[in-house]
Order: sequence, then C-alpha cells, then structure tokens
Amino acid sequence: MKITKIGEFEELVLMTVIVLQEEAYGVAIKKELEARLSTSISVGSIQSALKRMEGKGYLESQFGAATAKRGGKRKRIYSATQAGESVLLQMKAIRNGLWNSMPPLALDFKL
Amino acid sequence: MTHKPIPDIPPKWPLRLLRFFLKDSYLEEIEGDMEEIYQENLTHFSPKRSRFLYSLEAVKLLRPSLIKHISSPTSLINASMFKHNFTIAFRHFRRYKTSFLINLMGLSTGLACFILIFLWVQDEWRMDKFHTNDAQLYQVMVDLGNGSSTSTNTAGPVGAGLVADMPEVLAAVTARTKSINSNTLSIEDTHLRAKGLFASEDFFRLFSYDLLEGTIDQTLTDIASIVISESLAQRFFGQSSDVVGKQLVLEQEHNLMITGVFKDPSRHSSLQFDYVLPFKAWSSENTWVNQWGNRHPQTFLLMDEQVDMEAFNTKIANYLSVKMGGEETENSLFAVKYSDNYLYGNYEGRTQSGGRIKYVWLFSLIAVFILLIACINFMNLSTARATRRQKEVGIKKSLGAHRFSLVMQYLSESTFITILSLLLSLFIVLFFLPEFNEITGKQLRLTWDLGLFKFLLGTVLLTGLLAGSYPAFFLSKLKPISIIKGKLNGVGGALWLRKGLVVLQFSLSIILIASVWVVYQQIQFTQTQNLGYKRDNIILFEKEGRMEDVENTQSFLAEMRRIPGVLATSTIDNTLTYSDWSINSVQWPGKSPDDRSAFELVQIDYGMIELLGMEMIAGRTFSEQFRTDSTGLIFNEAAIRLMGLEEPVGMQLDMWNGTFEIIGVVKDFHFESFHKKVKPLVMYLGDHGRYIMVKVDGQRTEQTLGQLHTLYQTSNPGFSLDYSFLDEDYAALYVAEQRVSMLSRYFAGLAILISCLGLFGLAMFTAAKRRKEMGIRKILGASAYHLVRLLSDDFTKMVLLSIFIALPISYFMARAWLEGFAFSISLQWWYFVGAGLLALLIAWLTVGLQMANATRLNLVECLREE
Repeated sequence: MKITKIGEFEELVLMTVIVLQEEAYGVAIKKELEARLSTSISVGSIQSALKRMEGKGYLESQFGAATAKRGGKRKRIYSATQAGESVLLQMKAIRNGLWNSMPPLALDFKL
Repeated sequence: MTHKPIPDIPPKWPLRLLRFFLKDSYLEEIEGDMEEIYQENLTHFSPKRSRFLYSLEAVKLLRPSLIKHISSPTSLINASMFKHNFTIAFRHFRRYKTSFLINLMGLSTGLACFILIFLWVQDEWRMDKFHTNDAQLYQVMVDLGNGSSTSTNTAGPVGAGLVADMPEVLAAVTARTKSINSNTLSIEDTHLRAKGLFASEDFFRLFSYDLLEGTIDQTLTDIASIVISESLAQRFFGQSSDVVGKQLVLEQEHNLMITGVFKDPSRHSSLQFDYVLPFKAWSSENTWVNQWGNRHPQTFLLMDEQVDMEAFNTKIANYLSVKMGGEETENSLFAVKYSDNYLYGNYEGRTQSGGRIKYVWLFSLIAVFILLIACINFMNLSTARATRRQKEVGIKKSLGAHRFSLVMQYLSESTFITILSLLLSLFIVLFFLPEFNEITGKQLRLTWDLGLFKFLLGTVLLTGLLAGSYPAFFLSKLKPISIIKGKLNGVGGALWLRKGLVVLQFSLSIILIASVWVVYQQIQFTQTQNLGYKRDNIILFEKEGRMEDVENTQSFLAEMRRIPGVLATSTIDNTLTYSDWSINSVQWPGKSPDDRSAFELVQIDYGMIELLGMEMIAGRTFSEQFRTDSTGLIFNEAAIRLMGLEEPVGMQLDMWNGTFEIIGVVKDFHFESFHKKVKPLVMYLGDHGRYIMVKVDGQRTEQTLGQLHTLYQTSNPGFSLDYSFLDEDYAALYVAEQRVSMLSRYFAGLAILISCLGLFGLAMFTAAKRRKEMGIRKILGASAYHLVRLLSDDFTKMVLLSIFIALPISYFMARAWLEGFAFSISLQWWYFVGAGLLALLIAWLTVGLQMANATRLNLVECLREE
C-alpha cells in the first residue's frame, strides 16, 4: 500500500479538524492545539498546513457564517475528506505496528 | 510626556502587507481570523500587547505556500501571452520608428563602448599572469633610501647570493630586461636583425616561455650559446625543429651555438624578445656588474610556496650592506610579485603608489558612466512618449491584468531592444577594433569563449532591466480611469531630473570639445615650433661592426660625401631625443664649491653643428683650421646663463682635470621633448660619437638612400643600414600625447552623440507636452518661427548653463595638463568659447528639427484630444 506523506504537524491539524467537527476553522484549531500541546502556535503555521493539505486533497472547506466579532468576515469551515481519513488510519496502523514490535522500554524506570 | 492614547483597533499596516502579498482568495478568512484573535487578546492583554501580537501574526503569515503568484502557473510562462506581447512590441517599433531607432542607436553605442573598454581592461589584467610559477614569481626592487626613489636595477650578484643564503629562495634569474637591444645575427650569408636579452641559467625555469627544442637545464649553461624564438628559427631555416646545434654569428664577432628554440612570447608578456643569451656572456665583458656596490641588471626570484613575504622582505632589507662587509649604504632590498609590476609599477621608497592601474580604473569608470548615460537616455525617451501607450495600458488593466504582468511585459520589451542593440554593438565593435588596437597598441580580439558569452549575457540582462525598469513601473502605474477620462496629457515624471541630465551631458561634451582642441593645438605646437635645429631630411644610425673602429668610420664618411645626394655627414654622441650623458665637474670662475650642476655632455665631430643647422650666437664652431679645437668647448645659452659669464668666448675653464677654452656659444636647442626645459649643455670635439648623421637632399631621398645602402654593404659587410629619420624620432617622443589626442576625439564625438540623443528625447517630450499650448497660439496667429523660438528658449537656457559649468572646469583641466610641459601654448579664450558655441549650435540643430516638426500640427486634431 502506497504511503502518502503527511507531516507531523499536519497530522495533528488534520486530527483536530475531525475532532472539532462543525467548529473546525482557523482560530478554533489554533486554540485547541495550543491547549493540547501547551505551546503557542502562530496563525501562519496553521493556515499553511491547512492550505497544503487542501492542495493534497485531504481537506475540503467552505465558507460559514460571518459574525460581528470578525469584522464582518466569514469563517472557513474545514472538514476531512475520505483521503484525509484514510491517511490518518494508515499512519495509525503503522505506528501501532512499530509499538508492538518494540522491546520493553524502561518506561517505568525511575531515577 | 504624554503618549497618544493607544486605540482599541488593530494597526492598519499589517493588513496592507497581507493584502499585497497573500493570495486574494485567502484574504477574507485570514483577515477574519486575525480580527477574532485580536479581540480575544484584548480581553487578556493590554491594547499595546494585542497590537504587537497582531503585527507579529501578520508577519508570520508571509509564507511561500500562502503568497500569491509563486505557485500560480499563469502570467509569466504562458505561451500565448508571450506571443501577444511580442506582436505588440513589434507593432510599436514599426509605428514609432524614430524613437525605436534612437533608442537602438543610443544603447548600441553605449554597449559598444562598454565592450571595447572591457576587452582592454581584461587584456591589461592578464599581462604577465600567464607564467605557471606566477604565484611564486617575484622581482627584487631597490629602495634608494631617499624616500621617493625606487629602482629595478639591482647589483649583479644579488640573485645568486639570495639563492645561496636564503632557504626561502628556490632559484633566481639575473637578466638585463630593460636593455633589449637590436642586433644582427648571421648564418653564412643570411643576416637578420633581432632583439634579445641576456639572462642567467634558470630563465626558462622561472618564466613560462615554452621551449620547443632544448631542455631547461642545458640551454643557457654554455657561455657561447644562444636560444632563439620560433619565428627567428623560421626566418633562418624555414623550420623550427632540428635547429639545435647549428652555429650562428652575433654582430659579426661572436660565434654562438643554438641550444634551444622557444615559442614566441605571447602578447600578454611585457617582455618581447627574439633570442636569449647567457648573462655571463655579458658580465664577463662588463666585470663591474659583479660588484655589490654597482647596480644594473634585474633580479627575479622563485620563492617557496609557503613563504611569508613580509618577513622575508624584512630579512633582506639590509642584505646589500651585509654583503658589502658592513659598509653603509642607503639602498635596501625588497621583493614584490612579478606580475603585479605591470599594473602597480610605481613605487615611492618601499610603498606602492599606483601605476598603470589608475588608467584601468579611469577607463572602467568611463565605460560604466557611458553605459549609464545610455540607459538613462533610454529611460527618458521611453517615458517621454508614454501617452502613446496609455490606451493599451488602460484596456489591459480594465480587462483585469495584474500590474505585475504589465511590468514583465515592458521589461521583456526593453530587454528585447537591448538584445538587438547588443547585436548591433558587436558589429560596431568588430568594425572599430582594428583602429582601437592601433590607438591602444594592443592586439585585442573578440574571442567567442564562454567567458565572453557570460559577460555579454550579464550585461544585456543588467542593461535591459536597468533601462527598462523606470518605464515599466511607470507605465504600469497608470490608472485606467484616468486614461479613459483622458486626464493624462503627456505624463509628468520629474522634469528637473531630465533637464539636469541633459545639462550634465552637454557640460561633458563641451569639456571634451575644448580638450580636443587644446591637445590638438599643443601637438601642432610641438611639431611646428622651431627646435633650434633643422630636423628634416636627416637620418641617424648607430655605429656597429666595422664602424666601431674610428678609422673605418672616417673613411666611410669620406665615401659618403662623394655621393651627390649627401649634403653633409658627421658623428655625434647623442640622439637629440633624450638626456644621455651628463657631467658635473665643469669648473668655471666664480663657481661655488658645492655646486654640482649637471651639464649635458655631447661629443661631436667637425661639421655637425652646420649639419643640424644650429645657430651660433657668439664665437665659432669647431673647425679643422684650428688645431687647438681639441681643447675647445661650445656651450649653449642655458649653460652660459647658469655660469653667469658675461664674455664667454675665449674664456678658460677646467673640466676633467684639464683646461679647455670656450670657442663659441650655440643658441638653445631642444634635445629632449617639450616636457623638459632646455638643460645646460656642453659640446666638445671628438670622433668617437656612437651615432652617424647624414643630411640628404630632399629632392633625391630615395636615390640617395639606395646608394647609401650599397655603400654600407661594402664598407661594413654582413650588416645592413638600419637608420631612422630624425623627424620621426622626434615625433615618437609624443606618442602618449598622440594617443590622448585620438582617444579624446573619439570620446568627444561619443559624448556629443549621446547628448544629442538625450536632448532629442527631451525635445520630443516637451513638444508633446505643450501641444495644446502651441495649438492655441497658432490659432491666435503665432508664426511658425515664433513657436520654434518659444520652445527652443528653454533649451538655450539649459545649454548656456552647461557652458557656464563646463568652461571653468575645462580651463583648469587644460592648465593642469599643460603644466606637464616646459614649453606650451598659451590658452586662448576662444578655444573655450568656441567649444561652447559649437555645443549651442548642435543643440539648436537637434532641437530645431524636432520643433519644426512639432509646429506643423494639425490644429483640429490637437485640440480635439480631450
């Protein structure tokens, strides 16, 4: 099976899109990831990842509602495509496989 | 200090930034996100911090994947767009032939000039750098200790001494490279004249004059050997192989064996010679050169690769003193890279003070300057008639063309014109190359190699982009609305800039015209001024072979006098072109003891003064009637003035520890170029002079010379008469000035051409701008003449300004140049005013043509342009 490439950050963003469902737009994705990763992320990196994946065909988007909070500008709501979902599952399967093959790590090793 | 209250809204500039760079389809979403985040931040942070974060986010949004055009496959490479632009450009050229041709001419002249100068500069850089050992090749210089004099004449033993005493020196060559004399070489009955030098054994080891025959170790070891060039071998034997081992005779005296053949020195070698003789052949007959205290030959070193030259130079500074047994001497040694000496050959003491490099810089600067002016003219002309292309721009923009694509279109158009200009300029270069080579004394060629191609490509791109940048950006800025409304009428663009440029160009032209005239006058002066002797129809040749024997000379002279075409002949020890020998031991009554004034010392034989037509202002010339003339002296006026003698004739004075009597005073004559004042000179009687002069009858020169040749062959077998005309020798003194004269004439012509082009462009522009005004005036009854006057007045003022700026500058430049001459013309006011008037005339002509055209307006048409 051919593995199509997806970066670590892109994978995180893609998963966040699926998690947020109808609320998956730029600012929400940013806040969700910042909370989970405990680090600040710039709008630029999120947008870059979103556009790239859209280009690769893992995401699709459409305009949502405009609110006064955004100065009258509409949001773009993203959702994963079939291809996007399948690539996530592929990556998950590969990782599981590797984890199963690993010798026991000193995970409980306490200094 | 009160701060402005920080507003609650985000700053404007980040949005503008985003709108400029990011893809349009992303803008709404991203701007919305930015706004939302800003509002949120305001609840957590201060307004100041929120604004800062906002700007930060904007900057971080500038990523390749979000920026417009980079990933867009359209605009640049679309084939049909390309074809369309091409067609438009072509139509434009055909429709407006004049401006197209002017642009073409201007650019190609500029490019041709640039290329020629580039070739020259490249050649200069390459001189002497072709030797394989170049990185390790050094020459020994002598600092004469008075802070400002340096010489390449070193003591004979220095080379060998340094090799023996200094481990850093791998090998050395002692050679006489400054005295490359012309001599006669003979093999049986073939006699050829050739130039050569003396060099020690390692000559071919250090320098890359490739040996076609013979080995480096054996060529200069034997004292009776000679190494000849390929072309010399061809001239003797018709071949250049199997020549080693043959015998030839030098100056009918020395029998030498050919030990090798070398390839002719390339044109990049500053040393040009046909043969090499071993240095010991010369030093054995001039043993004084082997002393540490004397200086004559040049010394070259092959240094070890790793040597620190600074340390080495400190080490050898006192070398001479050490070798002379601790004797005090002011001379200290230092070594410099051999190939540097061509361009950086001037030294003051131990410090490098320029040399030919200043000409390289000067001409490079001139080349860039000329190209720049051509580019600026192009810009001027292209924007001046922008009205023509307004409609095209307007329509394209309203149909949705990006400004960027318009810019690209105009840039590629100007690059296309530049490429055409380049092709034309290459033809111009090829055409002028022979003459250029003559002026510069080089053999430059357009070699079609990769280096030249890269250079030309780079030049074209740079010029095209530079010249086309302003028009491209300017034209694409036009707003469609204004065009359609018809508001634009011959667009603005800094008028003062254009005018300033034309003034600059004209000032330059005037300076050049004036300089050309001044240089021409000075050269005429040097050629026509009375030198104090008559130099026409006199030939000069050096004594050689049998002639070196005085008896033979005298009988030869007697024989010559029998030829009807020979009017007079005698011997002299000076060529009348440079200062040769001087003496400072002349003792006259009243001379102060520490006066060491030098007198030029010239030995002449009977009849020489009459031959040269010199004027005696007191006393008489040497005459056979007076036996005592062997202790007679003739001084020139300058000498008498120096000595302060009232009644010189008949006075006794001491010279060379003997007593002499002054028998006459000769009027001052120039024995050097006009650069130098006439020095004091003393002549004494003798027949050992090295040169023979013959005055021939001007009516029968050919015949007489033929007879002289024959006579010479019989009197001096094996040698051919190698003479030169005295007036040619004299003219040769001014070679540098002749070159300056030629070059300045070309540059003046070039400057005028470019200035006229610039002026023409400006005239067209002004005419276009003032069309309506002219139209109305014409309706109200103005005559054509009146209109032309009106339009030209502006330009007259500009040219007058140029004259005003240029005249003082050219006056000072001329004065400075003439100061290099001890004898010069006086600067007449009309030289400069004439140049100014000429410029004015040219300007009127240029403008007038354009204006006359402009006034033939169709009134209805120009007023209709709303």
